[in-house]
Amino acid sequence: MSETQVVAIIGWGTAGVNAAIALRAAGYAGVIRAFSDTDVPPYSPILTSYYVGGEKTYDECFPWSADELAELDVEVVSGSRVCLLNPARRLIRTEAGEEYTYTKCIVCVGARPTTVGFPAGCGYEPLVLRTMDDAARMKEAFNSSACERALVSGASMIALKCVEAALNCGINVSMVGMNDHVLDFSALPEAAARFERGLAAKGVGMRFGQTISQVEVLEGEPRKLRVTFSGGDVEEFDEIVVAHGVRSDFGFIAEGSVEIDRAIVVDDFMRTSASDVYAAGDAAQALDLVSSEKRVLGIWKTAALQGQCAGRAIAAELAGGEPEATDAYPGAIMTNTIAVNGTLFISAGASQAAEGQRVEVRETEDMTVACIYEPESDGSERLIGFNVASDTDEPGGAAYDTGAMLSLRIEEACRK
Amino acid sequence: MKALLDRADAYWRFAGTCTQCGHCTEACESLTRAGMSLGQIAKAMLEAQRTAATKEELAMNIAMNGDLVQAVRGCFFCTSCKNTCFAHNDVCDLIYNARVDFQNLGLIERAAWSSVLVDEEWDIFTAYRAIHGIGYVDLVRHKAYEGHEAETGLETAFFPGCSLAAYGPELTREIFQTMDEMTSGNLTMVDSCCGSSLKSAGFFDRAEALCDRNADELVAAGAKELVCVCPGCANDMKKALEKRGVHVEVRLLADWLHERGFQPKHPLPDGPLCLSKSCQDRDGTYLEQTREALGLDEGTFSIFNGCCGAGGAVSAFDPGRQAQQADSKLSFAPDGATVISMCPTCTYTYAYRLMESPRNVTNKHYCELLFDSQFDWDKTFAQLGGMWSGEYGPWLAQVFA
Repeated sequence: MSETQVVAIIGWGTAGVNAAIALRAAGYAGVIRAFSDTDVPPYSPILTSYYVGGEKTYDECFPWSADELAELDVEVVSGSRVCLLNPARRLIRTEAGEEYTYTKCIVCVGARPTTVGFPAGCGYEPLVLRTMDDAARMKEAFNSSACERALVSGASMIALKCVEAALNCGINVSMVGMNDHVLDFSALPEAAARFERGLAAKGVGMRFGQTISQVEVLEGEPRKLRVTFSGGDVEEFDEIVVAHGVRSDFGFIAEGSVEIDRAIVVDDFMRTSASDVYAAGDAAQALDLVSSEKRVLGIWKTAALQGQCAGRAIAAELAGGEPEATDAYPGAIMTNTIAVNGTLFISAGASQAAEGQRVEVRETEDMTVACIYEPESDGSERLIGFNVASDTDEPGGAAYDTGAMLSLRIEEACRK
Repeated sequence: MKALLDRADAYWRFAGTCTQCGHCTEACESLTRAGMSLGQIAKAMLEAQRTAATKEELAMNIAMNGDLVQAVRGCFFCTSCKNTCFAHNDVCDLIYNARVDFQNLGLIERAAWSSVLVDEEWDIFTAYRAIHGIGYVDLVRHKAYEGHEAETGLETAFFPGCSLAAYGPELTREIFQTMDEMTSGNLTMVDSCCGSSLKSAGFFDRAEALCDRNADELVAAGAKELVCVCPGCANDMKKALEKRGVHVEVRLLADWLHERGFQPKHPLPDGPLCLSKSCQDRDGTYLEQTREALGLDEGTFSIFNGCCGAGGAVSAFDPGRQAQQADSKLSFAPDGATVISMCPTCTYTYAYRLMESPRNVTNKHYCELLFDSQFDWDKTFAQLGGMWSGEYGPWLAQVFA
C-alpha cells in the first residue's frame, strides 16, 4: 500500500472509531485522519444520561482508553468542524480554514438534537442531551439547589433517559408530549400504558396530546420558567429539557455531490453515490430488515457495525481488491431498551401496526407483551415487531429473556 | 495493531460494539464476581496483549488478571448477559474466542478437558459405553459393520447426542424404533457428538471440524433430514450444514414427532410442571415445540431460563459453581414439581445434584415423558463412579491423564 493513502473519517464517534478498528484489523497501514468538532475523545452518547444522574462518572463515558486509541494510530484533527466535503476534488475543509485531501472518506457525523417546536426567542435555552457538553450542562442544572422541578418535552427514549436522570437527581419531573402516549414512535398503546403506570408510580407527571405553547422567564432568585401548555394549563418549572429528536447536518457536503434522502444513501458496503465516499451511523440510510427499505436506525450497535463494514470495504479496495460478499452490511432491526428506575421497556422491529397486520397483546401480573404480525402469502404470519413493558427491571430476568427471544425471531424471519 | 492473541480482531470488534453501560454485569454472577462487563473482557484481553512482548508474557499477563480469568472461565454460555445487553452483543462469540486464546496460551489445565475430547477415540462417553457394552452399530445403517452392509438413501437420520446415547441406551433404542416405524425403515443414526465440550475447552476449530465430519456423513448417507434430541446439537449441526451449503433439514425430535401425530406413551405427571429452557434455545422455538409435543397447554407450566450448571465446563474451573447453579435453577421448582429439561446433559446435571442434595422434585428429560424407557441415574452414577476404581481404572487414568 502506498504511504500517501489517506482515509479521512469525518466524525470521531462510534462509527468512526469502528471504521478505524476495521481498517487496522484488515492490515491497512496508511494514514487515518479523523475530524472531530470537539476536543474530547470519542464518547458514548448512551451513557450521558447516566452521567447526569450520577450512575457513571465523567471518565466512564469514554469507552476507549488513550492506549486503545493510540494503538489505532489515528491522526485526529479536533476542535474545528468540517465545513466542506468536496468529493470531486477529494477535499475537506475545516472551519479553521485548513484543507486536507483524502483517498477515501467516511462520513459519520452523527446527529444533533433539534429544538424545533420549542418557543424560540423566549430568553431561555432549553437543555438537550447528546454530547458530553450537553450532559455537563444538564448535570450542573439538575444538581443546582435551585432546581426542584423540571419539565421534559418529548416522549422519546432520550426524553425518558432525561426523566430518569432527573429522578436520580431528586428532582420532581413532568413530561409533555404531542402524541397520545409515552414512547410515541416506539410503543404500542397497551405497552405504553403499562410503562406510563410505572412512571406515574415514581411520581412523574405526564401530559400527553399537548405541547409547550409559551415559556416566560420569571427573573428572580431563583429564576423560574412559567410554561403555558397547548391545553391551556400553566405551570412553573426550574428547567426544561427538550427531546424532540435528532437531525444530521449535511450542509457541509458539496451540493448535489452525494445522494441524500433522510440521510446519506449507502449500498451494502456503506458506499455512497459519490466515488470513494462512504457513510455510517446516524448519517447513513442503510438496510432495515423489517421493512426491507433503507432507513436511519440511530442506535449505537448499528453505527458500530456500519463503521466496521465501511472500514473493511475501504481496506479491501485500497489493497486493490473488492470487499468480500460476507463483509457486506447484513442490515439490522430497530431495537430499543430503556429502564427508568425499575420500569422496563424493550422493543424491536415495527412499532406500529399497518393495515392488515395483527396485534396480539398478552398481559401478566408484571409484564405486557405486544406483538405485531404480518400475514404471509402462504397464510402464515411472521413476527415483525414487539413491545415488552415490565414493572420490574431484573437483569437476566424474564422480561429481558422474552425481549431477546422475540428479537431473534424477528431477525430470523427477516433473513429468511 | 498487535496480534499476539490469535483472536485479537474479535476483541477489537466486540469492544467496538460495547457501550460500556455495565448492564450485562448485573445479569451474571460470574461477571459480577469478576466486576467486569463483556466489553471489559475484550479490552482486558487487548490490554494484556498491549503490555506483552512475547506470548509467554501475554500468558502471564492474562493469568495474573484474576478477574479476567474468572469472567472467561466462569461463563456458562447461558446468554443471560446477552439478553440483558441493550445491544444484544454476542457473549458466546466473545468467550469462545477467549477460550481459544486461553487454550493456545496454555491457560486451561489439561485436567479440565482431557476426558471430553469427543473428536478422539476415547472420551468419557465412549469409555463409559465401551466399559458397559453400549453400542449402536445395528442402528448406524449407513455404515458397514459386521452384520450389515452400508445402506444408502436413508432419508432420516437420528442424532441422539453424547449424553442420551451413553446414559440412556434403552431410551435411545426406543426412540429409534418409534422413528423407524414412522419412516418405514428409512432411518439411520449418526452416533456422534456436536463438539460443544470441545468449544468450552477452547478447541473451537476441532468442534467445527467434528460437525463438518457429521455433515459429510449425512451427505454420504443421502439423508434429507436430521432429527436431534438436544437443541445444542441441532444448532451446531444446522450451522455446519448451512456453512457447507448442504440441504439437510435439522429438526428437534419433539417437533418431528409432534408433526407426525405422535402421542406421549403415558400421561403427564401430577403436580406442577417446570420447563427448563435450554440455553441453546435462543429464540424459544424449541421450547414451544417441546410444549406442543408434550401436550402442555399455555399457563399450565412454568419456565425457567438460564444454565443448569453444566455449560461452559465451568465445573472444571470452579467445582462448586455447577452445584450452586443447579441449585439456583432447581429452587424455582416448587415442592412436588417435575422439572422437564430439553437437553439430556441438563437432565444429567439436575440428576447428579438431586443425588447429592435430594429435594422433593422429579427430574425428567422430555423424551422420558414421551416414551416408556427412562434414565436410570442411580445406576448410571454408580457405573460412572465405579469405572475409575474397577478393572478399567488404570486404563482410564492413563487415557485421561
